[in-house]
Amino acid sequence: MNALFLIITVVSLAVLTVAAPDSVLGIMIDGGKGALDLALKMTAIYSVWLAVLKIVEKTGLDKKITSLFDPVVNFIYKDENKTAKSFISMNMTANLLGMGGAATPLGIKAVNSMNRGADALSATTNMIMFFVINATSLQFIPATVIALRAAAGSVSPSDILIPNIIASTASAGAGFLIVRIVSGIQKKKNNTELKIQEIKKII
Amino acid sequence: MGNFILPFLLIALFVYAAIKKIRIYDGFIEGIKDALKLVYSIFPYLAAIFIMVGLFRLSGLSAFLTKILEKPLALFGIPSELTELILLRPFSGNGSILLLEDIYAKYAADSYIARAASVVVGSSDTAFYIAAVYFAESKIIKLRYAVPAALAANFIGCVSACLLCRVL
Repeated sequence: MNALFLIITVVSLAVLTVAAPDSVLGIMIDGGKGALDLALKMTAIYSVWLAVLKIVEKTGLDKKITSLFDPVVNFIYKDENKTAKSFISMNMTANLLGMGGAATPLGIKAVNSMNRGADALSATTNMIMFFVINATSLQFIPATVIALRAAAGSVSPSDILIPNIIASTASAGAGFLIVRIVSGIQKKKNNTELKIQEIKKII
Repeated sequence: MGNFILPFLLIALFVYAAIKKIRIYDGFIEGIKDALKLVYSIFPYLAAIFIMVGLFRLSGLSAFLTKILEKPLALFGIPSELTELILLRPFSGNGSILLLEDIYAKYAADSYIARAASVVVGSSDTAFYIAAVYFAESKIIKLRYAVPAALAANFIGCVSACLLCRVL
């Protein structure tokens, strides 16, 4: 992220220095303003959803949702703790119900409660898997897009539903496979390195 | 019909909670405290990304990269009208919605381009933004291969979106 940030900002700034040096500060402050607007919106949305979530937790309904998703969650995420699994299940529920506003805070809580690896600052395979599946959008019904198409005068705004469901499944499936394959390769690499160290010790 | 689901679920939840003698008002206060803490920990990441995206778009760098990427992306069956959308999608949710509206206005909402663009947006998400937000509170800083994996998966989604809209 640091390298990407450096490259994009420096190159953009260089272009702007030549093209329109006066606009630089304004563009950057507008960026901050955009973040502030979104943060205000998020505060409103999360206030509602995290309040509802607190009630769900207090009634113990979250445990019922968790047990419903247990087979799926256990298949995708190996050796994860109970709290994290519960947040993962509720994040999936919110996504599938099309409640994007509720899915994000639940996702953050899920990552926060997942087991840490040997290096506490490094993302575990489960965290990466969870992030990738969320970043490929589990939302099968793209409510915003359909509403925008209807507003733009489409005759049948929801005729993208079937291709959308297939494409969503394709990207989530691809994400799942990529993470499984990469983590498998890394595990093998670590194992061979360990073996080499052992052999070296013996020698 | 769909409009009734959410209020109905909320009523059911609150009544169920009341039967279980749970203090709903106190629960709300606790939840909202969580929300404030959450936004507080996310905001620095949010602002940094927004500033970067602002520079990226308004400097013309994104338009320039779009031009360069048009030809290689065409090899995957992605029409050049969608290149900028696919480039911007991982960075900015608002930005891609604006581009989507532009595409609707330019090519009509029922054209192939508009439908493919809709599926590209509908079936993917803003990977960089989600990376920043999801890992912010847990203070995980080494994301390893998380972002490249998400970008690759979303790209496969885009390719299938362009293909599917030709036949479906």
